Amino acid sequence: MITLQLLVNGLALGAAYALVALGFVLVLNATAAVNFAQGDLVMAGGLLGVALAPHLPGYLPLPGLLLLPVVLVLMAGLGLLLAAAAYLPLRRRPPVAVFISTIAAGIILQNGASVLFGPEPRAAPPLLSGGTLDLGGLVVAEQSLAIIAVAALLIAGQQWLFGRTQLGRRLRATAQDPEMARACGVPVTAMILITFALGTAFAGAAGLLLANRYFVTPTAGGDLILKAYIAVTIGGWGSVPGAVAGALLIALFEVGVSSVLSYPVALGLLYATLLVILVARPQGLFGEAARRRA
Amino acid sequence: MRRIVHKVWALAPTLTLPRWAGEVIGGAVLVAYALLYASPYGLRVLTVAGVYALAAIGFQIVFGLGGALSLAHGAFFGIGAYATGILGSQWGWGFAATFPVSLLVPLLLALLVGLPVLRLESHYFALATLGIAQVVHLLAVNSPALTGGANGLPGVPGIVLFGWAVPRGLPLAAVVWGFVALGGLLAWRLARGRWGRALTLVRDDPLAAGTLGLDVGGLRLAAFALSAVYAGAAGALAVHTQRVVSPEVLEFPVMVSVLTIAVVGGRGRVAGAILGAVLLLHLPEWFRFLERSYLIVYGVALLATTVLAPHGLTGLLDRLLPAHPAPLPKPVAPPEAAVARGPLLRVEGLTKGFGGVRAVDGVSLTLEAGTITGLIGPNGSGKTTLVNLISGLETPDGGRVMMGNSDMAGQRPDRIARAGIARTFQAVSLPEGASVLAAVAAARLERDGSIALAEAHALWALERLGAADLAAKPCAGLPAALRRRVELARALARQPAVLLLDEPAAGLTDGEKAELAGHLRAIAATGTALLVVEHDMGFLLPLAGHVLCLDQGRPLYAGPPEGVRSDPAVVAAYLGEGA
Repeated sequence: MITLQLLVNGLALGAAYALVALGFVLVLNATAAVNFAQGDLVMAGGLLGVALAPHLPGYLPLPGLLLLPVVLVLMAGLGLLLAAAAYLPLRRRPPVAVFISTIAAGIILQNGASVLFGPEPRAAPPLLSGGTLDLGGLVVAEQSLAIIAVAALLIAGQQWLFGRTQLGRRLRATAQDPEMARACGVPVTAMILITFALGTAFAGAAGLLLANRYFVTPTAGGDLILKAYIAVTIGGWGSVPGAVAGALLIALFEVGVSSVLSYPVALGLLYATLLVILVARPQGLFGEAARRRA
Repeated sequence: MRRIVHKVWALAPTLTLPRWAGEVIGGAVLVAYALLYASPYGLRVLTVAGVYALAAIGFQIVFGLGGALSLAHGAFFGIGAYATGILGSQWGWGFAATFPVSLLVPLLLALLVGLPVLRLESHYFALATLGIAQVVHLLAVNSPALTGGANGLPGVPGIVLFGWAVPRGLPLAAVVWGFVALGGLLAWRLARGRWGRALTLVRDDPLAAGTLGLDVGGLRLAAFALSAVYAGAAGALAVHTQRVVSPEVLEFPVMVSVLTIAVVGGRGRVAGAILGAVLLLHLPEWFRFLERSYLIVYGVALLATTVLAPHGLTGLLDRLLPAHPAPLPKPVAPPEAAVARGPLLRVEGLTKGFGGVRAVDGVSLTLEAGTITGLIGPNGSGKTTLVNLISGLETPDGGRVMMGNSDMAGQRPDRIARAGIARTFQAVSLPEGASVLAAVAAARLERDGSIALAEAHALWALERLGAADLAAKPCAGLPAALRRRVELARALARQPAVLLLDEPAAGLTDGEKAELAGHLRAIAATGTALLVVEHDMGFLLPLAGHVLCLDQGRPLYAGPPEGVRSDPAVVAAYLGEGA
């Protein structure tokens, strides 16, 4: 039973990580830029939940979920701002310029949050009522189930958007080859802005989903960006389903090792694994061998 | 008034200051400030600024010159700090013993992790080094027996130099800044010398650097290791200043501070590191209302500099007070290589596949001294891949590349380059920030004893191609035809036995092509063997003594140029049907 409980916890955590990794990989595919602020954006989403909580009507049974659309919209706006300030001016410059500008954006977010909220961990309201469900002896937190459900819906929505809509086709074309897409009349800059908005909204949603069970601190971003990165690396670079699978895998690993040993050990092992994977297979565990071109 | 300004402006170029004048003036201002105005608190800030200046000077080596965004620099700083902290407070070691250890431990770690991690490009490297930093931080917090855990270790002794316990205040500031001066001078000399030039080429164009005989991996590892030594020294001095060591020295803000100092001050410049450190360590004083979150200011400064002033403050100063270009050297012919005869390069059964595609499939060819061989074939037939295989940018799956009696197949590009093979690229790549002379001189860095000699030889190569007048021009903004000429001069400056040219005539006018053909004939006449990839038959066929045609990686035709046009297989491959 405990193993099952851990499995549900791991899946919930993994679902949220999957949103983080997905946002990360969407931006990476579309712009070839690594968004180092992705972890801090997760934190920002969580703190938005904390900040908005007092304005919730007290009589509704779905407190946290009501915040989700608000957080998604606000975070999408933040994503546009991020793209405008830290990506668009640097498009023609070496990628390292974007790394640095997104690191800078992350620092501003992180320390802005600590000015506004203080350094101590905080909890956003629960997504549902905050109770537990008894599923034939298996007691699971409603929160876990809600996280899994919301993340699954968002991921399915993203798949639908990219797979079935005209906008999605244009977004994919931009990610595959911006020059070609532009030649075919796709407004590439707009597509990039939308990708940033989407990636940031996903990070924010993940933050809101996690912020009740795992609390949120201004400095939590550094670990989250690495976890998203590990997920993407495990999943093979650029692969969306791979990123989701990778996220689930590391969350299960994290929950499992934490329960037997401790969280720092789990974290240390994760990072050590990252280094080993990067050195042994930089193209990711399931990716095809990367080709170097002259 | 305006007239006066104009007059002063007109005089300005005659007031040429030596290149190091800025550094001397800046240093004098710092000393004057420390002696005359600084309060005890001001001196403390100045001391900490010195610590960060030292760390940032090291960061300039790996990031500014080497172009590798190492996020482990803060970890090396922290490891240096912990080495001093643990040995000083727990084991009672003195400065003379702890300081070398604080340099050595980060150095060893850098060598250990650098070997595998430095093979990674761009963000892989940045995030791998961030991972290293997080692991080190986790270890420090979770090993209380050794590190004092989250509380850290108090009671770190002060600096004792030759029996003199350095008191706080001015003496400590002076000692720390003495280290800054020492480290700065060393880094400045390295950066301006052959090693620094080589490192910047590795940053701007690692592929070209390899084909110019530079050991890319070795240069990167040395830069990474040296930067770790600087970080360790800075960490040790930081702990001596604070007299405690705690996990704070390993947290991300240290890394952020060093990165911001380097970028805001000016990437790759020692003066930038010092200017940035003094400025940014004093910034929080002006933004005290932010308390511990002064890092917001750092973030804003970092973002603003990246977007608005990519060359940082020293870049802005350079624009205000442009340095006078150094006079051109006299061209000097490099020592003549012995004129070769007979076959110089024998390629036997070379094979390379990507995924399921055989890009090069059993190609053999021989390049004789003093001859020009043409390599033709439809797009995607494997011509560039063949050149990449010979020059070491791709590793062949099978076959041999014989230079004399040694098989070069699968060797590193710099080893192959040293064996006497030079090449140009289909898409010409020149370091945009460099002058034409510097770009060509890069080809001689590995061989000549000084930059001056390398540039003299580079000018010789440019002169041979009738392009000496380009020497002082910046590479950025050169028209395509001239870029090809400069790249050819760079390859020629290596005095190669074998020269591989990937579409040298692309984008040239008929007149320029005729001129190029003349130059290529002249190069061949000195005994060099040329392999020319080209689509333009009107250019190539009169030039080449022998032609090899590839189709889908396989040799389709090999023989005299006259036979190409009438060969049915070649015609079929080009026209796509049985002719």
